[in-house]
Amino acid sequence: MASPATSPDIVSPAIYLEGIPHSQFSEIMAHPGLLWHPYQDGGFWVVSRHADTKTVSKQPKLFSSAVGHTNLWDLKADALEARRSIIDTDAPDHTRLRRLVSKAFTPRNINLWENVTREIACELLDDFQYAGGGDWVSMVAAPLPIRVILSVLGVPVSDADYLVELSNYLVEGTTDQPSLAADAFGNTTDLDLLPFGSPASHALFEYGEQLGAKRKSDPKDDVVTQLVMAEEDGNRLSAAEYRNLFHVLVFAGNETTRTAIAHGAMAFSEFPDQWKRLEADGEISAPAVEELLRWATPVLHMRRTATDDTELSGTSIARGDKVVMWYPAANRDPAVYDHPFDFDISRETNPHFSFGGGGPHFCLGAFLARMEIRILLEEMLNRKLALRQVGAADRVASNFIHGILSVEMEVK
Amino acid sequence: MTDQMRLCVDAGLCIGVGQCELLEPEIFRVDDDTGTSTVISAPILPSQRAEALVDQCPSGAIQIDSDVSPTQARPPDTG
Repeated sequence: MASPATSPDIVSPAIYLEGIPHSQFSEIMAHPGLLWHPYQDGGFWVVSRHADTKTVSKQPKLFSSAVGHTNLWDLKADALEARRSIIDTDAPDHTRLRRLVSKAFTPRNINLWENVTREIACELLDDFQYAGGGDWVSMVAAPLPIRVILSVLGVPVSDADYLVELSNYLVEGTTDQPSLAADAFGNTTDLDLLPFGSPASHALFEYGEQLGAKRKSDPKDDVVTQLVMAEEDGNRLSAAEYRNLFHVLVFAGNETTRTAIAHGAMAFSEFPDQWKRLEADGEISAPAVEELLRWATPVLHMRRTATDDTELSGTSIARGDKVVMWYPAANRDPAVYDHPFDFDISRETNPHFSFGGGGPHFCLGAFLARMEIRILLEEMLNRKLALRQVGAADRVASNFIHGILSVEMEVK
Repeated sequence: MTDQMRLCVDAGLCIGVGQCELLEPEIFRVDDDTGTSTVISAPILPSQRAEALVDQCPSGAIQIDSDVSPTQARPPDTG
């Protein structure tokens, strides 16, 4: 076989300090078939088109999440075992784990949290407006989703600041410059065995275990209690699985929505005509929320591994090959989107992949994220809180999380 | 009535996302005890809506019921 055409660099973390490398993705997408991206000792196939992303996502047997891992690099067997969660499992483990938590996140049950979310949003926006603006991330984008997810899970909201701090360290773990010492937070575990290779994962595990022990002796009507009960009876959840599930719920439940809210504010500042449209409409429509999600694309990629020889867009893929879906590319695929680089809140069809490409790993918190974003925008509209970005955003140097560390916004 | 389709839920595949309940609340409901989708009324829809639902079910649990011929997939006669 002739060696495949090589992809331009889309993995160096420093690239992402300037934002998503859209010109590289456009170049990749314009190339027939798939490009091969060298990485460490091997490489991966770059999946950039919308249709290909869907094909991969919808065939979880052929494109496994459990083999090797969902990161660009392979994990060793002991690390895979230690870190197993709903992210990096296939059926039947994935099905069993997901069902333990799915009911809290159905559209019907998420709607029950609307009032709680609105109260939190109002408090944060009132403070922001009173202060005349400031860092949108630390004042609104970060505290809103963490408080909401903790409420949904049954974790004390008084610990929100500590858990945001841990989340920040986890995001840092996806960059090439993590700042924590290996023994931070009293960690003694090999970093390879910890999610994001971060000692902050040890701290989050410990927090989850302590809370779980409390709920075992004093059960409450909450998700944490349901999980520890599942662990107690019938071997439905192992201790390691509980730890990892708690970790995923807290981290993914706050970090991703925080990123969406940060990019949302930046988008409305960059495209003030779109904010004026919202004001003229007087309400937040579903298309506005979906466009914000498309625009933000908080998670940049997920990897799958081929379990058999196959073919995608005319390119032969061998069993064992890594296949990596780059969601920001699919979310701006010109085959699906007119003017993909315009932020347009009136798009009637917007089949974005900000919650994944549609297979069984479809984001558990999708309906929660949508609800939070809608409520936040509604309350911004109620306050006529038009934002204007001041200076450049401080971005995370990560090829995995489209993170914003801070961004100054003034109130117009 | 060839534009009607009957749907079914493969409970083994369902992961309880709730997309079906969101799109077709008259027909599907995610059971709070089992965490999987259940059919609460005749799961018959115009083919376009049925196909959209199949496409948007993340787990692939919502399927066209191929055991039923189009003539059988007629909505109940409410006379």
